Amino acid sequence: MTSADLPATAPEIPSFRERHASTIRQWRLYTHLFAGSFSSMLGLALVVLFLILAIFGPVLAPYPEDTTGAVNLSQRLLSPSLAHPFGTDEMGADILSRIIVGARTSLWIGLIITGVGAGIGVPLGIIAGYHGGFTRAVIMRVTDLFLSVPGLALALTIVAALGPGITNCVIALSLVWWPGYVRLVESKTLSVKEELYVESARALGASTPWILRRHILPNCLTPIIVKASMDMGMAILSAASLGFIGLGAKPPLPEWGSMISVARTYMPDWWWYSLFPGLAIFLTVLGFNLLGDGLRDILDPRSRSR
Amino acid sequence: MRNWIYGVAAASLIVGMLQAGPAEAFERVEGRKVVVFGGRQAIPVLDPHVRYDWSTRMMQQAVYDALVKYEGNPAEIKPWLAERWETSEDGKTWTFHLTGNAKFHNGDPVDAEAIRYSFERGLKLNKGVAWMLKDFLTPENIEVVDARTIRFKLNSPYSAFLSFLPWWYVVNPKEVKANEVDGDYGQKWLTDHAAGSGPFKLKRWEPNVLYEVEAVADYWKGWPQREANRPGGVIYRIIREPAAQKASLQRGEADIVEGLTPDDYVQMARQRGVTIQDYPGMTTFSIKFNTQQGPTADKNLRKAIAHALDYDGLVQIYNGAAKLQTSPFPDAIRGHISVPSVPRKDLAKAKEFLAKSQHPQGGVTLEYYHVAGLEEARRIGLLLLDNLAPLNIKVDLRPEQWPNMVAKGAKVETSPAMTSVFVTPISTDPDAVAYQYHPNSHGQYFAMSFYNNRDVTAKIDTARRTSDWNERAKLYAEIQTQIVEDQPEVFGMLQNRRWAHRDYLKGFVFSPVRFTGEVDLYPLWIDAK
Amino acid sequence: MVLFTLRKVAVLIGTMLGLAALTFIITNVAPGDPARLVAGPDATNDMVETIRREYGLDRPLIEQFLIYMGDLLTGDLGRSIVSTRSVMEELARYVPATLELVLVAMTLGILIGVPFGMLSAVYKDRFIDQVTRILSISGVALPAFWFGILLQLFFAVRLELLPVSGRLPLTALAPEPITHLLLVDTLLRGDFETFREALSHIILPAIVLSFPCLASILRVNRAEMIEVLQSDYIVAARAHGIDSRRIVMLYALKNALLPTIAMIGLRFGWMLGSTVLVETVFDWPGIGLYAVSSALASDFKPVVGVTLVIGFLFMITNMLVDLAYAWIDPRLRSAR
Repeated sequence: MTSADLPATAPEIPSFRERHASTIRQWRLYTHLFAGSFSSMLGLALVVLFLILAIFGPVLAPYPEDTTGAVNLSQRLLSPSLAHPFGTDEMGADILSRIIVGARTSLWIGLIITGVGAGIGVPLGIIAGYHGGFTRAVIMRVTDLFLSVPGLALALTIVAALGPGITNCVIALSLVWWPGYVRLVESKTLSVKEELYVESARALGASTPWILRRHILPNCLTPIIVKASMDMGMAILSAASLGFIGLGAKPPLPEWGSMISVARTYMPDWWWYSLFPGLAIFLTVLGFNLLGDGLRDILDPRSRSR
Repeated sequence: MRNWIYGVAAASLIVGMLQAGPAEAFERVEGRKVVVFGGRQAIPVLDPHVRYDWSTRMMQQAVYDALVKYEGNPAEIKPWLAERWETSEDGKTWTFHLTGNAKFHNGDPVDAEAIRYSFERGLKLNKGVAWMLKDFLTPENIEVVDARTIRFKLNSPYSAFLSFLPWWYVVNPKEVKANEVDGDYGQKWLTDHAAGSGPFKLKRWEPNVLYEVEAVADYWKGWPQREANRPGGVIYRIIREPAAQKASLQRGEADIVEGLTPDDYVQMARQRGVTIQDYPGMTTFSIKFNTQQGPTADKNLRKAIAHALDYDGLVQIYNGAAKLQTSPFPDAIRGHISVPSVPRKDLAKAKEFLAKSQHPQGGVTLEYYHVAGLEEARRIGLLLLDNLAPLNIKVDLRPEQWPNMVAKGAKVETSPAMTSVFVTPISTDPDAVAYQYHPNSHGQYFAMSFYNNRDVTAKIDTARRTSDWNERAKLYAEIQTQIVEDQPEVFGMLQNRRWAHRDYLKGFVFSPVRFTGEVDLYPLWIDAK
Repeated sequence: MVLFTLRKVAVLIGTMLGLAALTFIITNVAPGDPARLVAGPDATNDMVETIRREYGLDRPLIEQFLIYMGDLLTGDLGRSIVSTRSVMEELARYVPATLELVLVAMTLGILIGVPFGMLSAVYKDRFIDQVTRILSISGVALPAFWFGILLQLFFAVRLELLPVSGRLPLTALAPEPITHLLLVDTLLRGDFETFREALSHIILPAIVLSFPCLASILRVNRAEMIEVLQSDYIVAARAHGIDSRRIVMLYALKNALLPTIAMIGLRFGWMLGSTVLVETVFDWPGIGLYAVSSALASDFKPVVGVTLVIGFLFMITNMLVDLAYAWIDPRLRSAR
């Protein structure tokens, strides 16, 4: 928005830049801090690369038909070469293409699990923290119940019951993912609720939704963003783990964990088959974790000194 | 700085300590070499009347004996606990005469009562092997004539009777009864104990890890490899990862392994000191159509699919170690014929059939179910997906756990359009395969196509009650031709049975009726210093 | 303190029952048919029915649930339909192996994580800190199953330095059990040969399992150390000219250890969950492998059993951590 768009009759209204001067200053600082950290920038670069692959995958893949189940039995298990930089798999498909398009599967997995997790967890956390009493007790009991078992073990149980497949994996992981957000948001809400400005807003007759929207949610936003960034990576890793056990994506959909699950039987002689999908998982998860870590450093003042 | 030096010293100490000594080539027990078998599948229950699968039966065969035993290739029924037998005119009465010298591991003689009890146990428990005989034999009709003679009176003549007996192992009634809990026929005890008379007895039973059997020095039937070469025992070790299996064979930690990938076998064959056993198998791979419901109820569509599949690709998936089926019956089945009209890839013909079907333009999506984790079935699914694209038929690959897949296939309403199934016939008698196409089999995993052709059914019924082989052979030829014509499934291939073993392992004898992976442990021995 | 403990125990029992109910319901939503699996490929329908009856699978689900919960109160976790044994019996066999693996991994994590955390804190923002930081985050990001296979191939297959998988060599017999932890038992019995074997088998899976845990211990330790090092009393101590190394060792470490212990408690449960992957790769005969193989066979009583055991161990550890906290810092006792 430029000043030309502003109504001419209101020159006294401060410009966008003026109105948000402090925010802009703050963001400048954030950017500066972030750019100054090598590990954060590395994380950002990895995530950007991953997003590019996920969005433009089918265009970038050298052999896009190999990602939808094309079979070239004459080209099975070729070692890395110029034509196939990452080699080919047991059906003669180009591994590089499958890894590139697999990024999309992973992005989808990460987004849904994190999204559903936060979508369920954040409202429940706010309700629990804000209302307290019996509501809080019930919500927190159920949350603790889910948190009493490591997510992967519980997810394994759920997928085993539902049957293999990427959708079931996502359902299972989403089901075990939300309690973390409830914990996080609940404690944050509790502390914000007691703050003087919230108390006074309430005293002045502000409605509950207004307080939630104006005060509680913005205050919870920072830790949620940091957690969501970390969770993207961990969700992708967990889904890949389920894929490795043999409960993941169904063929021919390219998914990194399932690729390794098949490829491990081809170790060590056909090492490229499991090496590259593993690297893809590793770098993606590393990227999101470094990014999350960097974000926490700059967004969370308490940890900034650390 | 000093700390660092300590650290380095400690680290090198640990590494030095961990460095395993030169790998001992053979496991030994009391001076005798022990054969180590690396397999991927556990043996949860050893009880011979409760369970069987390849690994379980391999161990059962090691510790138990039956009246007769399958040996050799082609498989022949050899006298074992029974030294001879005769059949009555009407084919209903079978009399077996026992060898006098067989004894159980605890010294009790194997008498007719032990045989009677074992069959009664198998039938009454109604598990595992029971299905083979339950329609023809009731416990009351097993008669102990004297200590060395036992007589079976069948409800009706059953030509395949003898072919099932090698799988009915004999337990020691005295030991079993002593360990009975609440009238369970000793089931709890026999889960991880044995009461047999076989060449080996149980030594160590560590579920999910390893099972060790020890050779019975004075086995009543003697040892084929001569006393000096007789191994001290066999260890069956569970190695789940093919990569680990391969490594342990290379390092000599295992003497024989099964279940490697087709590519691994090719590679292991080039290794020095490793021998590959490679035999035509009896396990059929087929893609069963649901012939009653959905698009595949249309015979022309089924035939279109069958003609679109790249059969050479099937063999290629096994690196050539497979043979295409020429009939619904595996080649090793008695009475097998090559049906000339069995489909091969012919896209023009496939399109012709498609044009005649209710989906002349294709445009359907068919589910293809396979057992999750079963590599070959998955790959064949991918091949099918690729091959059906020209017909504009989409394939939806659905990996599923075995129990869930079987549950789906048990009802015609839920049976998938296409299911990939491996079937190993339990004997070489044609009835073992033919009966899979009988409506009485509906509900079983091998009958997921719900095939029902009255003419074929009648012929199957007649053939199993006929004793004259020539008459039966004619009937089975007609049955095979008609099934091929009806195309209830894509007739795939017979994969070869393969094992990789160190070349010092001797005495390996292949027999096609054994399951994939199953080896007769009795004649094995290690020829090395 | 007694009241505090009692309350914790009550919560524990309640959560266990809730957990049992939760997993029971989850595992029964889908229409798997384990009876058919164990009945064998050729079994007729009435044979499958025999097995269903034997395991009570023919009863209405609600009845099965009530029976299961009732048995649970008497410590009975049902029978595995695949192995026909009682789940409790099987867990007793597999839990020690897992516990041993997790404990060794935990020890590794602490032994490496704490000193490197300190180092990182003392040399904050310097090169070594940056490297440690990236390495520690890498630890969390490494797919355990993939890393395990790589280590296996390098150390076991290529170098032939360590065994590929398993817990003991084929013919080595485990010593008469005392604690059921092989490493401890062999030492107690003086069987050093078997101890060496057991150690060489556990080292690779333990390293794989310890990596993510090591990373979090390192990071928590680093963060706490930095905070403590900047606190007034350390600054004051420094001003008084107390030797800096002693400061770090004595004051800072002692204070940074509390949050580290909390992290260890948290990570313990996480590691129990990861055993499903690591034990699969290394054929380690523990509850993780038991859970995976049972889950793949739709044999759900063991799966529920393993979930309960993991939940139980996890909660016990957290309880111990809480107790340790309360014991060290009495202020927390009244706060809870």
